[in-house]
Amino acid sequence: MAEHSGPDSGKHKANHANANSAALLHGRAGAGTGAGGLSGGLSQPAGWQSLLSFTILFLAWLAGFSSRLFAVIRFESIIHEFDPWFNYRSTHHLASHGFYEFLNWFDERAWYPLGRIVGGTVYPGLMVTAGLIHWILNMLNITVHIRDVCVFLAPVFSGLTAISTFLLTRELWNQGAGLLAACFIAIVPGYISRSVAGSFDNEGIAIFALQFTYYLWVKSVKTGSVFWTICCCLSYFYMVSAWGGYVFIINLIPLHVFVLLLMQRYSRRVYIAYSTFYIVGLILSMQIPFVGFQPIRTSEHMAAAGVFALLQAYAFLQYLRDRLTKQEFQTLFFLGVSLAAGIVFLSVIYLTYTGEWYAKIHIPIIASVSEHQPTTWVSFFFDLHILVCTFPAGLWFCIKNINDERVFVALYAISAVYFAGVMVRLMLTLTPVVCMLSAIAFSNVFEHYLGDDMKRENPPVEDSSDEDDKRNPGNLIVTMLMLMLLMMFAVHCTWVTSNAYSSPSVVLASYNHDGTRNILDDFREAYYWLRQNTDEHARVMSWWDYGYQIAGMANRTTLVDNNTWNNSHIALVGKAMSSNETAAYEIMRSLDVDYVLIIFGGVIGYSGDDINKFLWMVRIAEGEHPKDIRESDYFTPQGEFRVDKAGSPTLLNCLMYKMSYYRFGEMQLDFRTPPGFDRTRNAEIGNKDIKFKHLEEAFTSEHWLVRIYKVKKLDNRETLDHKPRVTNIVPKQKTAVLDL
Amino acid sequence: ASPGSDMISPTMAGLAWRLLLCLGCALAAPDLVLEEAKRTVDLSTHLAKVSAELNLANPPGGAGPAGAFLLALEPGLEPRLAYLGVQVKGEEEEENTLEVRETKVKGKSGKFFTVKLPSPLVPGAKIRVSVEMVFTHVLQPYPTHITQAEKQFVVFEGNHYFYSPYPTKTQTTRVKLASRNIESYTKLGNPSRSEDMLEYGPFKDIPPYSQDTLKVHYENNSPFLTITSMTRVIEVSHWGNIAVEETVDLKHTGAVLKGPFSRYDYQRQPDSGISSVKSFKTILPAAAQDVYYRDEIGNISTSHLLILDDSVEMEIRPRFPLFGGWKTHYIIGYNLPSYEYLYNLGDQYALKMRFVDHVFDEQVTDSLTVKIILPEGAKNIHVDSPYEINRAADELHYTYLDTFGRPVIVAHKNNMVEQHIQDVVVHYTFNKILMLQEPLLVVGAFYILFFTVIIYVRLDFSITKDPAAEARMKVACITEQVLTLVNKRLGLYRHFDEAVNKYKQSRDISTLNSGKKTLETEHKVLTSEIASLQSKLKTEGSDLCDKVSEIQKLDSQVKELVLKSSVEAERLVAGKLKKDTYIENEKLHSNKRQELVTKIDNILDAL
Repeated sequence: MAEHSGPDSGKHKANHANANSAALLHGRAGAGTGAGGLSGGLSQPAGWQSLLSFTILFLAWLAGFSSRLFAVIRFESIIHEFDPWFNYRSTHHLASHGFYEFLNWFDERAWYPLGRIVGGTVYPGLMVTAGLIHWILNMLNITVHIRDVCVFLAPVFSGLTAISTFLLTRELWNQGAGLLAACFIAIVPGYISRSVAGSFDNEGIAIFALQFTYYLWVKSVKTGSVFWTICCCLSYFYMVSAWGGYVFIINLIPLHVFVLLLMQRYSRRVYIAYSTFYIVGLILSMQIPFVGFQPIRTSEHMAAAGVFALLQAYAFLQYLRDRLTKQEFQTLFFLGVSLAAGIVFLSVIYLTYTGEWYAKIHIPIIASVSEHQPTTWVSFFFDLHILVCTFPAGLWFCIKNINDERVFVALYAISAVYFAGVMVRLMLTLTPVVCMLSAIAFSNVFEHYLGDDMKRENPPVEDSSDEDDKRNPGNLIVTMLMLMLLMMFAVHCTWVTSNAYSSPSVVLASYNHDGTRNILDDFREAYYWLRQNTDEHARVMSWWDYGYQIAGMANRTTLVDNNTWNNSHIALVGKAMSSNETAAYEIMRSLDVDYVLIIFGGVIGYSGDDINKFLWMVRIAEGEHPKDIRESDYFTPQGEFRVDKAGSPTLLNCLMYKMSYYRFGEMQLDFRTPPGFDRTRNAEIGNKDIKFKHLEEAFTSEHWLVRIYKVKKLDNRETLDHKPRVTNIVPKQKTAVLDL
Repeated sequence: ASPGSDMISPTMAGLAWRLLLCLGCALAAPDLVLEEAKRTVDLSTHLAKVSAELNLANPPGGAGPAGAFLLALEPGLEPRLAYLGVQVKGEEEEENTLEVRETKVKGKSGKFFTVKLPSPLVPGAKIRVSVEMVFTHVLQPYPTHITQAEKQFVVFEGNHYFYSPYPTKTQTTRVKLASRNIESYTKLGNPSRSEDMLEYGPFKDIPPYSQDTLKVHYENNSPFLTITSMTRVIEVSHWGNIAVEETVDLKHTGAVLKGPFSRYDYQRQPDSGISSVKSFKTILPAAAQDVYYRDEIGNISTSHLLILDDSVEMEIRPRFPLFGGWKTHYIIGYNLPSYEYLYNLGDQYALKMRFVDHVFDEQVTDSLTVKIILPEGAKNIHVDSPYEINRAADELHYTYLDTFGRPVIVAHKNNMVEQHIQDVVVHYTFNKILMLQEPLLVVGAFYILFFTVIIYVRLDFSITKDPAAEARMKVACITEQVLTLVNKRLGLYRHFDEAVNKYKQSRDISTLNSGKKTLETEHKVLTSEIASLQSKLKTEGSDLCDKVSEIQKLDSQVKELVLKSSVEAERLVAGKLKKDTYIENEKLHSNKRQELVTKIDNILDAL
């Protein structure tokens, strides 16, 4: 008898304990099934829930941070790729010279002979953030090198991104979905690709700023409070200071307001939120030197202004409607509408004729960057895995139960999908919204299936642990399936991160058959040679890809770099590379070039070398100098680009070819191939007898990956082979001096 | 005993004034004679290592006993001298290092040293001393610029004779070269040449201060590496670690490379760039751990670490091979356990570390800065160095958890060679209580953090009042209390059930009665408490109040059932009831009770 009454209260407690621990376990699994079970009744809901959320967010942060450390563990704490080197260099400048010096920094090491006003041409948010962290740490006598701050900034910010995604999703749906979204964004490859340790780039902090701005926007639309809107503006200001992608915000928020107006969802809250946001946000954004007056000049900011005007007009009409008769109101309305239409029409015409169509002019340069290519389907799946399949479901849930903020997320999703389709790079803006919507979808599914479980368990009719399983096999299967998907997602994320996104690309590694690793450190070898053994003011010519690295690692003056603002200068370098030696020498003389640096992968089979990029140089050069350089000259009559004997003679005698293959014709890499066999292009080179007249080899790295040539000074004038004519006219003193 | 008192010899015992004079001129030594001088000039590396064996004699009938003798250096060479050591060769084959002090001799240029003898040399006595001198940067590459394919030739200019303030009876000079490929050499006295060796002399009866230029031009491809500057930072922690970091600027000071550097030739032809330096070995202390080798742009991946029994050998390959005139810069650092280097007696500490450590064999350091960072709070710092060092003003260094800074000893020295690898001892006092400062700081920081969080969570900082939210919170608080109370009450029944069970077994009516009593009293208390909470809820205007009253109703039914079952149990024990009927009734009761409890649970969940 006692056995029956006993379990009552005991079971009561046990149920909740189970639910808690189960939810905790899900959180730990990384995929984070989150708090689907939380919505069930808890005896002390507030305490448990916040503890659980805190733990899950903390673990998500930790998981996100650690999965970004592959490169640091495999290689070292090093800045990756190209742009991060510039950011690092500027941050270093900021940390060692102070903020005002940084704002006024004129970098004479870039774009010789033009130089670059760095303070006015960068988004300073990243440098200031890293510099500030470094400053605070050093104030506390925590002597961390600025390099380490830079390397670990993006992983740390990924945790903040997870938290702001959590907040945003919680506003949109519920806490459970928020936790799931935080876990997703922490490990999703689409975001990791831009935020691994060492990838010290604007995007690393910008995604946090983006999500946080959106969260605050949603919050201010929900509450209609000026406080939240001002917070939103500050966050927007941070975003403007960090990344050019702020344009996305300044278009999406007006779009949201506009759609709300169309949907008859206008309210005082929206009016307050948007009016405050537009005015304060506009003023704040104009404080960034690089942005300056763009927000009131350029076409991409006009939508915001238009919506602002529209909103005012709408609010005014609402006001008038209360005061006027219907007849008066109608005439006024039509008058107003026609006037507005006229103004919009005129401004569009004006903008079309005066707007900067940057992309049109510089298409070859933009097109030459791989990350500006359209996205393939594969990369959607590669970067988002299961989320790409589930996020439409989340979108559907949102649209089905629509409210003001869900309109926002729907617009966010649709626009981000469009942009991600246009450019691989913008996959980054799609990733957060995909995480949020997928989290909503998953959370809904779990709530449905796990929640049912709980209800049926609660009536403790009989002590029946095995009966539970019999009753709802469907639920169990669905739950298991979902968990499997999440697990596979976690595995995929780790795999992608480890294999695709964790290479510093400054250091290369190759693996032997026995698994030992060879490090190919040629880039740094050559850059360091430049740094140590050339004149401090030597000018190095290279293709623009390597400009930032040369400035950062070799600390030498470059002609062109990754900040491709001056197309004609780049074209000039392209022209020098694609001309023959004599013509190139003239260009190099006119540009005061001391050294030429090229990347040559023929010895080790590195495919990203300059010969493979060469056609872009030709194209860009042709764009500016169509008389001297013609792309067709570099192809065989059959239209092939070949480096072997069949290659076009123009190619075989151009500077780039000669520098790449100088003395390579003597080199026999193994016994199966003839000497001068290029492993990257699998061809025996066509011109083995390369001699230089105006250049000399200055340095070649161990695996020939980097080759540096010295541009010789002009030879002394040839001595005359006959005696100078002797006259008996004594020259005047002045001319004699001049002759000397 | 002072040197003066040792000098008293039988022949001059009576002459006090002479004794005084001797005391005065003991260092300026009377006229000694070099019976024999055997000099070896080792030029096989980029250093000139001169070692000379001298046979000193105080001629009989000389001026008196000599407590010291003079060593001289040719005028041109003095700035190049890195090391000078004099040892005396005793009969017991043990070697004593003698004290050397720099002096000046009037009317003579060059550099002079007085060497104090272990015991004064009386007239007629002889002593054998060996002198070791190391000169840096005396081998001049000639030609000064060579191409990658060429070999490196250097010129050495020296003196045919052993430069000495004393007349020499007989002397020889042996010059050891790096190779047998000799371009030219001076042929004073028709020197014999074998392999890589030149032998001059013997020269007889050489007057003091004789000079005659010896010049050798020969091939020398040994690594002409020079550490142009080096900073060595030693950071001592009393938590058991000594961190050492060396920042090294390295330069190839041989013949400068002219023309192109061809990687192809360098890889394919073994003697291409023969004078270049590909790698060298650095020997670190045996206990060195966590070694790193890097520069401004990151880790230098081309190095190997070999852990031997008595040392850690590091094969250092600069990022690129060093040709003549090329330079590089790197940082090498490691940790050492402090127990091997740090000694203490109470609050007295002594750190015994090498002033400079091995970088490569035959190393030359043009300029060295050593910084020793002692723990925060170290006082009375005193440095014992084996040779003269230039102390700069002490600095302060701030690092993790420091408040008033760690004292830093800064010392400089120029022109150093391998012989300078010697221990320096730093004495200081340190109050051990200060060790607690850092942990306490951390504890304090966390304390403040948690305290702020507590304050932030507990106190209301909002400037507006939200009555609705407040009411909601109040209700939540009350309902929580109700929940615990109801659960407690349900627990009471279970306790009572146990009492009934016990009673059934022991048939002791007192247990049952006492159980009943406690149930009654506690139940009353709890119920009244719940009732008061219910009324509170009512005042808050919450609809939960009805649910609570429902719970109360259900609960009274449960209680009735419980009491009923206890009565039945009493009857069973008393034999008034059959077992079957009891069990049946009991089942009925418990089912009913179960239902009621479930209902209560559901309501609780809804709360």
